[in-house]
Amino acid sequence: MSTTQMLKGIIDGCLLAIIKDKEVYGYEMAEKLESYGFHSFSEGTIYPLLMRMQKEELITATLKKSTAGPRRKYYSLTPKGDLELKKFIERWQNLQSNVNGVIQQYTITNGGNQDET
Amino acid sequence: MKRELHLSKKSQNFIENLRVYLFSSGKKQDEIEGIVNELEIHLSEAEQNGKSIQKIIGKSPKEYMEMVSDEMTIDYRTWFKYICLIIFGSFSVKIFSDLLAGNLSYSLLEIIGHIIITVLFITVVFKGFKYISTINQSNVKEGVLIFGIALLPLVLFLGLTFLDKVIWTPTVHFDNIGSLIIGGITLLFVIGISVWAKTWILIVITALLTLPEYFLNLTSLQYETQHILSMIISFAGIAVSFWILPKLENVSEN
Repeated sequence: MSTTQMLKGIIDGCLLAIIKDKEVYGYEMAEKLESYGFHSFSEGTIYPLLMRMQKEELITATLKKSTAGPRRKYYSLTPKGDLELKKFIERWQNLQSNVNGVIQQYTITNGGNQDET
Repeated sequence: MKRELHLSKKSQNFIENLRVYLFSSGKKQDEIEGIVNELEIHLSEAEQNGKSIQKIIGKSPKEYMEMVSDEMTIDYRTWFKYICLIIFGSFSVKIFSDLLAGNLSYSLLEIIGHIIITVLFITVVFKGFKYISTINQSNVKEGVLIFGIALLPLVLFLGLTFLDKVIWTPTVHFDNIGSLIIGGITLLFVIGISVWAKTWILIVITALLTLPEYFLNLTSLQYETQHILSMIISFAGIAVSFWILPKLENVSEN
């Protein structure tokens, strides 16, 4: 399975977390994700996700003037989005501890360290 | 309109293709503008930071366009509006120009053929443009396809005229009053649809396609000159109105 496939469903939650931190526009979001180490995904994929989250009323968008060119669309979290983020964090922690458990068992029985790639 | 962004030719092409793809997929106009503007800003900032377009939209522009399109709502009302405008537009142009030349007379084959050709043309235009927006570059292929699409109704109408001469079908002849009544009904339809669709485009195009020929006919110019002049006035007029009307209508909507 490729990283891109694994990322599906996870990026949504990461975007919610980034938006909660501070009102951001698309390009900033992509940069943030990259700064956390997500290099392999295509930046443009965030826009369909943002559209869906907007329809699900998890986020709202406002157009704001910028010094360099046309108005940018800034996103912020709705109360519903805030709740969804909490649920995502819970789900992720659960998933993470499950996966770690499995991997630890695997590395113990195979007697070696598995490289993280 | 808005301040220009610095975009590479490749990005500009992609943005234009995306716009055409989403439009011919029947998506809502304001949603299309929204995503196109956002991507333009993203692409221009990414390019300033030395990122390639692949980094933004991935390896396949087509897949990316599909992904975006899937998240957008289809605007059935606008679709219906366009289809009605095209069908009634083509009918009103035919009826008015025939009316200015004399009394109306149509065979069953002509009427049915006209409807079929119009519907076929609409389908081919939407499918064709959607397809063109996904193929990569190759201007020649694009040009040939667009030329083919534009030529299609012409060829089909010629075929229909020929068929109509060869095959006999029941024909309706209208006398003076009948012709005027049909003309009146068509006029009402054109006005009604324009009010409903909130656009002048149908009225303007119908007038531009029928009136120049009629008025030039009244002059003492040579037949060829008349014909060429009326064509130039019609097409230049249509081009100008396509450019001006959307602006005027946007202003009045806001």
